[in-house]
Amino acid sequence: MRNGHSSAVDQTGVPVYRGSQAARGSSLNNNNSTATDSRQSLDESREHHNHSKAVHSNDNEDNSRFTKFKSRRSLPWYQSRELQIVGAITLLSLIVRLWAIDYPTSVVFDEVHFGGFASKYIKNRFFMDVHPPLAKMLIALTGWLFGLNPSFDFKEIGLDYIEPKVPYVPMRLMCGIMGVAVVPMAFYTVRNSGHSIHAATLAALLVLFENSLVTQSRLILLDSPLILFTAFTALAWVNFHNQRKNAFSDDWFIWLFLTGVGLGLSGSVKWVGLFIIATIGTSTINQLWDLWGDLKVSPRSWLNHFIARAVCLIVVPVAVYMLMFEIHFLILHNGGDGDGFMSAPFQMTLGHSLQDSPLSVAYGASVSIRHQGTKGGYLHSHASVYETGSKQQQITLYPHKDTNNDWIIQKKDGTVPEGLEYIQHGDVIRLMHITTNKRLHSHEHKPPMTEDENHFEVSGYGFKDFAGDANDEWRVEIVENNDEESGKFLHTLNSKFKLVHTNMNCDLFSHKVKLPKWAFEQQEVTCMRSAVLAKTTWVIESNIHADYPEDAPKVNYKKPGFLGKFLELNKVMWETNAGLLDSHPYDSRPSSWPLLKRGISFWGREQKHIYLVGNPVTWFMSTAAIVIYVAIRGLLFLRDKRGYNDDFNGLREYYELSGGFFFVAWAFHYFPFFLMDRQLFLHHYLPALYFAILLFSVTFDVACRFIPSRARLVALVLIASIAIYSFRVRAPLTYGSEWTRSECEASKVLTTWDYDCNQYPDNYAQYVSNAAAKTAAVESTTNAEEPAANVDSFERDTEPQEQQAVSEGEGVVDAVGAGAAVAAAAAVAEPVGEDAQITDPAEAKMAQDGEIEPTFDFEVPVEDDEVSENEKNDA
Amino acid sequence: MLEDTLRVQTIYIVATASESTLRQRSTFPKHTPPTDSNASATEDAPKKVIKSVFTSAEKTNSLIALAGLTALAIISRFYKINEPDEVVFDEVHFGKFASYYLRGSYFFDVHPPLAKMMLAAMGYFIGYDGHFLFDNIGDKYNDNNVPYIGLRALPAFLGAMTVPLVYMTMREAGFPILTCALAAFFVIFDNMLVTQTRLILLDSMLVFFMMCSIYSYVRFYKTRNNPFTLKWWSWMIATGVSIALTTSVKMVGLFTVATIGVAVIWDLWELLDIRRRLTMQQFMNHFYARAIGLILIPVVVYLFWFYVHFAILTNSGPGDDFMSTEFQETLKGNTMADGIFVKYGDNITIRHKDTSVYLHSHEHNYPLRYDDGRISSAGQQVTGYSHEDPNNLWQIYSDNVENTKIGKQVKDKDVIRLLHVATSSWLLAHDVASPTMTTNEEITTYSINEDGSRFNETTFQIILESGGDKLRTMASNFKLLHQSTKVAIWTHAHKLPDWGFEQQEINGNKNLVQKSNLWLSDNIEGKNASEIDQESSKAVKTRSFILKFLELQGKMISHNAGLTDSHPYQSSPIEWPFLVKGISFWTENETRKQIYLVGNPLGMWIAVASLAVIIGVSGADLLSRRRGFYPLNQDVQKRFYYATGFFFIGWIFHYIPFFLMGRALFLHHYMPALVFSYMVLAAVHGFIFIEGVDGPISDAGPETRPRQLQRAVVPVIAYASGIILMAIHLGSFLFFAPLSYGTSAPSVAGLARRKFLPQWDYHFAK
Repeated sequence: MRNGHSSAVDQTGVPVYRGSQAARGSSLNNNNSTATDSRQSLDESREHHNHSKAVHSNDNEDNSRFTKFKSRRSLPWYQSRELQIVGAITLLSLIVRLWAIDYPTSVVFDEVHFGGFASKYIKNRFFMDVHPPLAKMLIALTGWLFGLNPSFDFKEIGLDYIEPKVPYVPMRLMCGIMGVAVVPMAFYTVRNSGHSIHAATLAALLVLFENSLVTQSRLILLDSPLILFTAFTALAWVNFHNQRKNAFSDDWFIWLFLTGVGLGLSGSVKWVGLFIIATIGTSTINQLWDLWGDLKVSPRSWLNHFIARAVCLIVVPVAVYMLMFEIHFLILHNGGDGDGFMSAPFQMTLGHSLQDSPLSVAYGASVSIRHQGTKGGYLHSHASVYETGSKQQQITLYPHKDTNNDWIIQKKDGTVPEGLEYIQHGDVIRLMHITTNKRLHSHEHKPPMTEDENHFEVSGYGFKDFAGDANDEWRVEIVENNDEESGKFLHTLNSKFKLVHTNMNCDLFSHKVKLPKWAFEQQEVTCMRSAVLAKTTWVIESNIHADYPEDAPKVNYKKPGFLGKFLELNKVMWETNAGLLDSHPYDSRPSSWPLLKRGISFWGREQKHIYLVGNPVTWFMSTAAIVIYVAIRGLLFLRDKRGYNDDFNGLREYYELSGGFFFVAWAFHYFPFFLMDRQLFLHHYLPALYFAILLFSVTFDVACRFIPSRARLVALVLIASIAIYSFRVRAPLTYGSEWTRSECEASKVLTTWDYDCNQYPDNYAQYVSNAAAKTAAVESTTNAEEPAANVDSFERDTEPQEQQAVSEGEGVVDAVGAGAAVAAAAAVAEPVGEDAQITDPAEAKMAQDGEIEPTFDFEVPVEDDEVSENEKNDA
Repeated sequence: MLEDTLRVQTIYIVATASESTLRQRSTFPKHTPPTDSNASATEDAPKKVIKSVFTSAEKTNSLIALAGLTALAIISRFYKINEPDEVVFDEVHFGKFASYYLRGSYFFDVHPPLAKMMLAAMGYFIGYDGHFLFDNIGDKYNDNNVPYIGLRALPAFLGAMTVPLVYMTMREAGFPILTCALAAFFVIFDNMLVTQTRLILLDSMLVFFMMCSIYSYVRFYKTRNNPFTLKWWSWMIATGVSIALTTSVKMVGLFTVATIGVAVIWDLWELLDIRRRLTMQQFMNHFYARAIGLILIPVVVYLFWFYVHFAILTNSGPGDDFMSTEFQETLKGNTMADGIFVKYGDNITIRHKDTSVYLHSHEHNYPLRYDDGRISSAGQQVTGYSHEDPNNLWQIYSDNVENTKIGKQVKDKDVIRLLHVATSSWLLAHDVASPTMTTNEEITTYSINEDGSRFNETTFQIILESGGDKLRTMASNFKLLHQSTKVAIWTHAHKLPDWGFEQQEINGNKNLVQKSNLWLSDNIEGKNASEIDQESSKAVKTRSFILKFLELQGKMISHNAGLTDSHPYQSSPIEWPFLVKGISFWTENETRKQIYLVGNPLGMWIAVASLAVIIGVSGADLLSRRRGFYPLNQDVQKRFYYATGFFFIGWIFHYIPFFLMGRALFLHHYMPALVFSYMVLAAVHGFIFIEGVDGPISDAGPETRPRQLQRAVVPVIAYASGIILMAIHLGSFLFFAPLSYGTSAPSVAGLARRKFLPQWDYHFAK
C-alpha cells in the first residue's frame, strides 16, 4: 500500500528492488505484500520468462523471485547466467581498454601533472595541487613499486618514456584496470535496481564501448579512479536500499558503510566527488522523510535510522578523506615547489626552520616583514627601478628568504637611538633597506599595475647619508595582537600591524598582482587609501639587534597540527581552484557537453593522434534518455493534477524510481558546473555521462515492455552493435593508431569536432615510408643540429605546400633541430631579451616557472653579481 | 493479485480526492487533518455573505495610524533635505544622467531609463536646464545654481510613500493594526532606507514600485473568488504595470517579477487541481488572462520607457561610443557623418569593433615552436594593438597585380589585398594553426619583394555589414573574408605571450557569422572629412525602435556583468543581513561631517532573527504534520504560509540571487530585501503574541460558502512588546542619525561608540 502512494512522490528515491532478499522479506511477511508488489512480481515473472526463452535458462527455474533466489544459489557459480555474462563482458573490456596501452610511448596531456606528482611523492617533496591526494598517491604507489626514477619529471607533453625507463605501463594499467572495473559495476547497478539482464547488459556494453571513457582510463589521469569510486558508491547505495526491509541487519549495515567509504574515496580523488555526495545526500533525506512519515516507525527507531546514516554517510567519508590527507602529509615531509602556497607556520612543518627571534622590537633592529593578506612573502627591494611612475627603486613582495628583505627601523627623523628603545603602537618610523640604503617611500604617483585612484606607488628613495623626507614616514598601527602586551608594543610574530603613510593617510598594501618582467614578476606593493584590512596587515618575522640581551624572550611560529594543516591546505586548494580562470584552447562550457560539440586534443605525433571524444551514438542516446525522462515525468505530473491516474500497471514507478535516482545523479553531476567560472573540459561530464547511460538502459528496459519478448534480444543486439560500430570508427583517435584522411573525414559527426584530418596520410601505406623518413631525420638531428636545420629550411623555401605539412603534422618531430636554431635566432631579435639582462635573474627564473628550490638558508645569496657590486659601490 | 491491484487503486483515488498534495498522509486516514474552514462552517453559521471582518471603528483607527505613520515618514525623509548642498556618492551618476536628458544628449548606463527620466522630468518642472554635470562628490550645488532640493524631493517623497504602502499591504494581507504599524515603523526608521531615499538615487523609486507591485498583487489575490470581474482585472493589470515600472527602474526589478511570478504559478497550479472543478477551457482562460496582464502589458510598458528614452536623447553625447555605427548614425551631430569614402591606394587603419584594437604588424616573427610543441610558420607577426602607431597603416589594393583601380572607391564584396605600409608586406592567411587557438588560422604577412606565388593567399573579400555599399571610414562595419580558405580575420581579448609583446592575438576564424568578426576603418592617413570634398550627406538616419532597443538592452546586460572591478566599499551578500559593512557616501573635511550608509543595526539584527524564526516554525510544522500532529490552528497556519510566507519568499527572491552575481555589489542592493524582512519581522511578532487571525479577508464570490467570522485577539503583551521593539528601533535610529543625515559631526569618541562592528570604517574616527 505504501509503495503505491509514496512512489509517485518519491522523485529522488532509489528504485524498488525486486531482488532476492527483498522478495524473501515480502513473501515472508504477508502484510507487506501489496498490490504493487504483486504487480511487480507479475512483471518480474514475465521478464523472467523472457530470459528463459532468450538465454535458455535452466528449466528448473520458477517464475517467482523467491524460488529464483533459491535456484540461483543452488546452481554452481559457473552456471549462473548473470555471472557468465558479466565475466564475458569484463573479459571483453579488459581487451578493449587495455589493448596497446603502452602506446604512445611518451607523455600525453595531463600525464604531465599526474606523472609529475608521482615523482614528487617519491621524492617526498611538498607540492600543491587542486585535487585531493588519493588517486595521485595510487599512481605514485604504482610508480614506486615498479621502480619509477623520480628524476624523471614528466615536464612536457611528448617527453619520451622508453629511454629513461619510466614504468609508465604499470602506472597506466592501474588506471586502466580501474576503468575496466566500472563495466561490471554498471551491470550490477542496473540489475540490482530491479531491471532485466538485457538492460544491465546494454548498460555495461555502452559503458565499455564509450570512446571517451576508454581514452580517459588508458592514461595516467584521475578520472578513471573517480568514475570507479562514483560508480561503486551508486552500486553500494542501490544495494543498501534493497535492504530497506531488513533495517539494521548485517547486510544493511555493510552496504551503508560501503556507501560511506565510497563517498570518502570519491571525494578524495577529485572534488567533483562531492556531487555523488550530494546525490546520496538527497536520496538519504528523501528516505528519512519517508521514514518520518511512516507512523509505524517509532521516533526512537527513526533516530536510530538517522544516527546510522549520519555516522556512515558523514563521519566515515570525512574520516576517509582526512586519512588520505594524513598519508599525504606523512609522505610529503620535505619542502618543495608547493611551499610558496602555504603560510609560514605550515612551511615550518616542511623541514624549513626559523630561528627563534627576540620578542620585542627596538629601533635599529634589522627586521624582515611578512605580508599577511597574501602568500606573497616579504617586503622586498632591490637595485632596479620602476619603469613607470617615479622611476625610483622597486618595492615588491618576494616569497623567499633573502638579504634584500632586511630593513632597519629608524626613528621619525631617520636616526637610530642609542640603547634599546622599543617600538610602540602609534609610533612613526622609517624603514631603511639595508642593501641599497633606500627608504620605504610613497608619493602621489600611479602604481605600475593598479589603475584604481586609491592606490599610490611605493618606492625606495634616497641614498647614503640622505636625511630623507616626510614621505618616508610610516605610522605603526597594531591591528591584531595575541596578548595585551603585543597590542601596545610591536612584537615579533605576535603583533599584526598596518603601516600608515602619515602624509597621504594610505596603508602599505599588497595584492596578488604581478609586476611586469622588468620587476621580475614579483608581487606589486602599493599604498592604498581606505583599504581592506587583511591585505594591509604585516608581521615582523625576523628581528636582529646587536644590543638585545641574551636572555630576551623569544618567539617562533607554532607548528600547526594535522587539523590545522588539513584545513589550510584545503582552503588553499579551494582558492587556487577558483582562480583557474585562464582560457585553454580546448576548454568548453557545460552547455555544450550533452551534445558533444567538441573534444579535447590529448596528443599528436607521427601522424597519429589521441583526441578525447565520446561515442556519438551512446552520447546522443543517453542525452535523449534524459530528455524523454523529463518530458514523461512532466506530462504525468500535470495529468496527476487533473485527476488522471496513469499507472500503466506499475510500469510507471518501475521507470520513475530507478530512473529517478539515475536522473538525479546525472543532474547533480552536471548542473553544478554551470556555477563554476573556472575552465572546464569535456571530461568533467564523464561521471554524468555514466548515469545518463544507466538511465538510458532503464528507458530501454521500460520500452521493451511494449515490444514482443522475442524482439527484445534483437533490440539489444541492434543497439549494442551500432554503438560498437561507432566506437570502432573512432577508435584510432582513442588508441592513437593509424588512420587515413578519408576515414577521418567520415568519422566527423559534427563539424565542430576539431581534430584535423589533414594530419593523416591518404592511405596506410604512407605510414611505412614515414617511419623510414623519421629514422633518417632523427639520425641527422643527432649527428649535427645545424645541417638538419638547413635541410629543413631549404624545404621551407622551395615548397610552400610542404611547409604547411611540416608545421602541422610530422613537423612536431622533424623540426626539433630546426626549431632550436630558429628559436635561438628569434630570441636575439626579441626585445624582451633586453630587459632580461637586469639584476635578479634568479628571481626572474623563479617567478617564471616556480620550480627553483626556495632558499631558506640565510647564507645563500639569491641575487646575482650585479647587485652585489651595487652593494659594494653603495657601501 | 488482481484484487490487490484494484484495492490499491481504489484507495489511491480516495486519497487523491481528499488531499492530493500530501499523498502520504492518506495512508493513515485516522490522522486526517481538520478539513478546511469552508467545510467546518456548520449549519448554524451566519448565512449572509460577509463583506468585511473589520468594524468601522477599527477602520477609523487604521486610517489614523496610517496618517500618523505617513507623516512620520515624510518628516524622516525631508528633514534638512537641503544638507549637504554638495554632490553625494552616486548623485555623481544619476544627477549627471538627469542633466543629459534635459540636454537631449545620448548617454549610456546599465540601468533602464524610467527613474532617471523621472528625475529629469522633476528637473524640467522646477526649471533646471541641465547645465551642471555632477562631476565629483563634494561639488557645491549652490555655487552652480542647481535646484537640488527639488531633485531630491522626488526620491524623498517616493521613499516616504513606501511607508503607507507597506502598512496597507500588511493590512490587506489581514494583519491587525499593531502588526501593520510595527512593519511601517521599522521601515520609517531604518537608517539605510532614510539615507538612500533622500538623495538623487534610483533605489527609492525601485522600492516604491516594488511595494506597489506587492500591494496590487495582494489586492488581486483577494478578488480571486470573483474572477474576470472589473476589480479582478484592474488589480491584475495594476500588478503587471507595477512590476514593469519596477523593472524599468533597475534590472533588479526582475526579482520582484520573480516573486510575483512564483505566486502566480502557485495560484495557477492550484486552479489546475481537479478538485477546483475548473474545466480545461476555464483554466486556460485564467492562464491567458494572466499572460496578458502579467506578461504582455508589462513588456509593453517596459518598452514604452525605452521609446521615450530614445525620443528624448536625440543628440550625440558621451554614450555614442558604446553603440554600433548604425545606432550612432541616428543621433544628431554624430561622428559617423564625418566618415569619408575609402579609395584604392589609401592608407587606412583598421580597428576591431568589439575590442577596439588596430590591425597591426611589426618586424618580429612568430616563434617557430610554441610552448605546447606546435610549430608556426615563423612568419611576421600580425597582432592587435590598442594604441595609434604607424605600424597600424595598411594600404588598400585591388586584387589585380597592376592595381588598376587606384583612386576608385572600395565597394561591398570587392576583393582586396592589404599591404602593410611600414614593412612592405602583404597581409596573408594560410592553413597553419594560430598561436593560441589550434582551431583558427594563423594570420601573417609576406614580403612584397618575394615572388608572387602566394598571391592567392593574400586576397580578401570585403563584406560590408552596415553603412551602405561603399567602404566609408567610421561608418562601415566589415568582415575581411579570406578568399582561398574561407576564414574571417578575427581577434578576441586574449593576449599573446611575451614574444608577441602581450598584444592581442589575431587569427582566422572559421565561424563566419560571428558578430566579433567585424572591423571598421576609422582613419585615412592624411585626410579628414573637413579637408576633402564631402560626398556623404550629414543627414541623421533613422533606425527601427526594436533594433535600437535590442542593441541597448544587450549592451546594458553585458556591461552590467562586466562591472567586476573591485571597489573599497563593495561587500558580499552574505554580509548584508548582518550589516557587516557600510558605505562612505560623503565627507566634509572642515566640519568633519560625513554621511555613512548603514542600516539600523538593532532593527536589522532583530529582522534576521525573525527570518530564522520563520524557517524554524515552518520546519517544525512540516515535521510534526508529517508525524500526524497539527500544532497550528488551520487558519493561523494558512495565514502563516500565505501571507508571512509570501513576504518571506519576497525576501528570498530579492536577496539570494545576488549570490550568483559576479559584479561588484554594495550594501544598498539589500534595500528591497530589507523592506521584506521588516514585514516578516512584524508578522512574526504577531505570530508570537497575537492569538488567532482576522478572517475571512478575501472577497466572497458567488460560489463561496458562508464563512465563519474570526477575530484575532491582541493581548496587552503584544502591545507592550511591540512598543518595546519600536523603542529599541527608534533609539538605534536616532543614535546613528548624525551619520545618516550628515547634519552634525559626532566626536571621535562618539564615532567609536557607534562603531558596533570593526569593519564600519568611518572617516574622522581618529
